[in-house]
Amino acid sequence: MTINPAAYRAFAAAIGKDNVMLNDDDRIAYSDHFAADEAKHQPGAAIAPASAEEVRAVVRIANQYQVPLWPISRGKNFGYGGAAPVMKGSVILDLSRMKKIEVDAENGTVLVEPGVGFFDLYDYLQARKIPLWLSVPGNSWGSVAGNALDRGVGYTSYGDHAARICGLEVVLPDGDLVRTGMGAMAGNPSWQLYKPGFGPSWDSLFCQSNFGIVTKLGLWLMPEPESVQGYDFEFDKIDDLGWAIDTIMPLRREGVIQQSPSIGNWLRSAAVMTTRQQWTKDKGPLDEKVVTAIREKFKIGWWSVQVRFYGPAEITEASLRVLKKAFDGKPVLSMKPAKWTRGDPPEGSPVTGVPVSFPLANANWHGGRGGHVGYSPVLPPKGDLAMDQFKRTYDLYQKYGMDYHASFAMGERSLTNVNQILYDKDNADMMGRVDAMFRALVADASAHHYGEYRTHIDYMDLVAGSYDFNNHALRRLNERVKDALDPNGVIAPGKSGIWPKALRGDRS
Amino acid sequence: MKWVVLMLIAALAGCSDKPAAKADGTKIENAFHGALQDRSSKSADEALFVEKCGMCHRQMGMGTVILARRMKPEVAMLEARDDLTAALITTAARQGIGNMPRISRAEVSDAQLARIAAHLTTNAQRKAK
Repeated sequence: MTINPAAYRAFAAAIGKDNVMLNDDDRIAYSDHFAADEAKHQPGAAIAPASAEEVRAVVRIANQYQVPLWPISRGKNFGYGGAAPVMKGSVILDLSRMKKIEVDAENGTVLVEPGVGFFDLYDYLQARKIPLWLSVPGNSWGSVAGNALDRGVGYTSYGDHAARICGLEVVLPDGDLVRTGMGAMAGNPSWQLYKPGFGPSWDSLFCQSNFGIVTKLGLWLMPEPESVQGYDFEFDKIDDLGWAIDTIMPLRREGVIQQSPSIGNWLRSAAVMTTRQQWTKDKGPLDEKVVTAIREKFKIGWWSVQVRFYGPAEITEASLRVLKKAFDGKPVLSMKPAKWTRGDPPEGSPVTGVPVSFPLANANWHGGRGGHVGYSPVLPPKGDLAMDQFKRTYDLYQKYGMDYHASFAMGERSLTNVNQILYDKDNADMMGRVDAMFRALVADASAHHYGEYRTHIDYMDLVAGSYDFNNHALRRLNERVKDALDPNGVIAPGKSGIWPKALRGDRS
Repeated sequence: MKWVVLMLIAALAGCSDKPAAKADGTKIENAFHGALQDRSSKSADEALFVEKCGMCHRQMGMGTVILARRMKPEVAMLEARDDLTAALITTAARQGIGNMPRISRAEVSDAQLARIAAHLTTNAQRKAK
């Protein structure tokens, strides 16, 4: 697609020419570096406003010249497309220069702009000795707001990030500016305290959508607890997955366990700390000998899970006893206690909200330039269904010659089967198999009426298409809203399979 | 990505009996310690490095963990290197290298990148004298 050069002149006049980036280096800087063919989703340019007012000016110009914008917070959505747009040639609207942080220490809330990363917020809280903890994702390089809006997850009891959103400021596709919840009343002191507001609630409509550009996001933070306690469980056999889930889930439903324990296989540690060549020269799927060697080296089971409790010592100790009792007499390989109490030195891991980036090293599993793509269907939280899901998925990994790398995260009422398919992007044969396997996995999930919670830009139409009740009624609704709010289709065409009227023919 | 880290920390705890050396920035101590980075700085340029690069290039960062496979682990952290040039730093940041993604001019401006390069070439300049 071509963009009227007059649009770029207008953007430059509105936000400064240094913030309108048009050269080849700029285009590749925003491409998906995990992709084998980076040109497929390469943007046409990038512009980087510094305030909500500048975003509004940019959006008005985009409407005038019909410029498709792809808003990013910090562009670190690795495994889902990074900074790159669904539609090639879109102009990246990079909000990473917007970095304001406002913390309400007493009430445990923060209002962040999109450019604030987890490390930024962590540093801010530490510098001021504010006793609030973050919930961080495995890639904490990214944006606090962007991660919550894409329904990212973390390790603590605040790990369902979208559920902790409280109040947004949004630039609408026509340049109007709105605040949701109590923020809809000028000066209201409860914007970050009371989620619903009055009348319809809009916060979740701006998650994984293309209905507006969030310029401020309110989020609840966990007050530093008096203690953190839990167990690290290892399970020896593949079949242990089912009963382990059935043992933990009742406690999760009752609210005894408030974080989302994630039970995952042996490759999680090996893929971060080592490369494949250290274990085998064999190209096919890893055989039992290698699996055994990995398990011995890291002293882990076929499956592992960590469970943690947060709060006053009386409560975490009692919770620990309840958890231990639930596993009494069951064939656990090992069960290691973990404990941190306020006053101890900082324990320094994501379970206490310390931001990290080292899990990203798993992109190097195959050596060279690697990456991963996420496949994450949601299913009911039952052990037999999880075992069945595991077996079908594992067979597909075997069929396509890929290394099984997955976990089951236990939500309050659901299981999310997070698969990170690790690949070498310079191996064309492997990349072909990854794409074919991904499509087979989505087809398999659909056949069982399971849907994914989040997906890569390559597969947004595919996954949106699997939500098929009443001949895709939800997609029709989404696109009616899209047309009403964004008649010119300037905000993120194709995001989550939602296309503006003029571009619906581009749906893949 | 989201869930791998807990596993890893547990795994490392299991495979190391003695407290791990901090020198190479890739080891952590046990299931409840050690992924915490030193985020401190002594100059404005160093503070900028910490803000823009530290998450990957200080202790237990993605860059540190991967570089430790390709060179002596004690120089896996960029600030320990004495062979870096401004040209290499600029190219790596703008073009990407290995698993490192490209860094846009909005995230780190040319002027900021020059200051970060100045910080990272301090050892090399000292060595040259």
